[in-house]
Amino acid sequence: MAAIRTENLSKTYRSGFVQTAALRTLNLEVNEGEIFGFLGPNGAGKTTTIHLLLNLFRPTSGTAYLFERVVTETEVHRRLGYLPESVCLHDYYRGRALLEFYAALAGVRPSGRSGRITEMLKLLNLEAAADKVVAKYSKGMLQRIGFAQAMLHDPDLLLLDEPTSSLDPVGRKEFRDILLELKRRGKTVFISSHILSEVESVCDRVAILQNGELKRVGTLQQLSAGRSMRLIVKSLPALAMEALAATAAVVTLVQGQVTIRCPDEALRQTVEQLLRQHSVEILRVEAETQSLENIFFSTINASSQP
Amino acid sequence: MKPIFLIAADSIRALLHQRLLLGLMLASLALTTIFSVSLSSLRKTMTEDFTERMVTNSMPGTNQMGEVDRRRFREQMEMTSSSFQAAFYGAASFGGSLVALFIFSTAVAAEIRKGTVRLTLSKPISRSQYLLGKYFGGVAVMAAYAVCASVAMFVFAQSQKLDVNPAMKFAPWLMFCRQLMLGSLAMLLSLFVHPIVAAVLAFFAGSGLYSPPNPLYFILPSYRDFNMFVQVMQGSLMDARDVVLLSFYAVDFVAIMLLLGLWRFRNKELV
Repeated sequence: MAAIRTENLSKTYRSGFVQTAALRTLNLEVNEGEIFGFLGPNGAGKTTTIHLLLNLFRPTSGTAYLFERVVTETEVHRRLGYLPESVCLHDYYRGRALLEFYAALAGVRPSGRSGRITEMLKLLNLEAAADKVVAKYSKGMLQRIGFAQAMLHDPDLLLLDEPTSSLDPVGRKEFRDILLELKRRGKTVFISSHILSEVESVCDRVAILQNGELKRVGTLQQLSAGRSMRLIVKSLPALAMEALAATAAVVTLVQGQVTIRCPDEALRQTVEQLLRQHSVEILRVEAETQSLENIFFSTINASSQP
Repeated sequence: MKPIFLIAADSIRALLHQRLLLGLMLASLALTTIFSVSLSSLRKTMTEDFTERMVTNSMPGTNQMGEVDRRRFREQMEMTSSSFQAAFYGAASFGGSLVALFIFSTAVAAEIRKGTVRLTLSKPISRSQYLLGKYFGGVAVMAAYAVCASVAMFVFAQSQKLDVNPAMKFAPWLMFCRQLMLGSLAMLLSLFVHPIVAAVLAFFAGSGLYSPPNPLYFILPSYRDFNMFVQVMQGSLMDARDVVLLSFYAVDFVAIMLLLGLWRFRNKELV
């Protein structure tokens, strides 16, 4: 069963006579038990998607489902935890009291509430700040307590919007460990983030969104396959080198071998043809595993080109 | 019911941390105290003046104070007492209206502006439960305000040895009803426009400002009959049947406003 499914989900904002399409016919499926990264530049429609999943916005068209139930059903929120991008909390509470309030709202039984809150405070290193007024919390502490409230009722799905933007490196490491533990327990995590290295290290699949359109979706291997290739040759004559210089291929000498890097399939074919013309022997062709950053930028740049 | 109660309790807690609201309540209390103290000193001056005249008139060779003077004095004292109670009621009612407008116009709008509503509604709570919780939180605060104002009024009347005006029997209840009507309208309007605009519109929407030929009289809410200032001033008792009818009118009005508010809030984008 899909934890998240959207069918032709679109959202257009209207401001007077001006209409802005924030999301265009998004068809997305996030499976149960996976950590899913949702990437895109600012204004790509990531937060709009999350708000539509939370039923905070009404879609212009299409439908969103959580655990195969339409998002307008309040009951489905029992299985959902949410951490917003800018954590806005009722800052007149003390830390523990705030969590008690959210636990009660989420339907955590009174008998188990106190224990669960203590567990969350300990997990997120907030024990010392438990009796402090939330208004006096630092940004990092707010993000931690925001994460605690999202996990209080042990939800099956976590929607995290920029979850580590205010955390220090230690906090980010702890956060990654928590996510991996959640994955081990079969929970689904949907992360919208700008920190690509973080997404790369924990996510099973990623989706890249730009201008409200879903550009690519898949595992890192799937996304990098068939695009960037490396051609290894023994040596490269000067004439062949000149011919290659006119293309976008990148030539490097590594351990006595010449490596020609081709970012896409069309260029690879052109390079192969050039090498044949100059009678250069190709030792082997390797698919290059790209970093998420490379995949992200190549997707965004390709989409930006007319 | 439990989510509504939780939201209402949180709403009360939030209101108690609002400095502007506390300021308004203190201003209302100060206004009431100033009126009471000034009227109390006026009453004292009148008593001293009467005692002096009694002493003067009782001197040998002068006429005894007539029954007419005594009656006039008694009437004057009763009028001062009524004025004191009317002023107390007026100040408490006006201050309460401001407090109600502030509470209800910002209850939901402020949470939308701050973004806290998003986190609350990510929990298994419907928008209807949220809105009703916010409204009932405001009702609880206004009820506490009405009780405090009534108790203060009676305590002060007792300390000044004043006869409590018969109109004061129903005045706090009708004041409370009026404030809930104002509040429900302010809350509804705050879902369309800025809270300050909503509060101003709600305050001036009362058709008490318009005369019956004006068609708005039949559309806009009527707060006029809930204002007991004249009755308290005149010391006249209001018919209990009228109070019941007015209460039904208020309940009816609040219910319609809440239904419209629920419809609006359910369709509102919580940006």
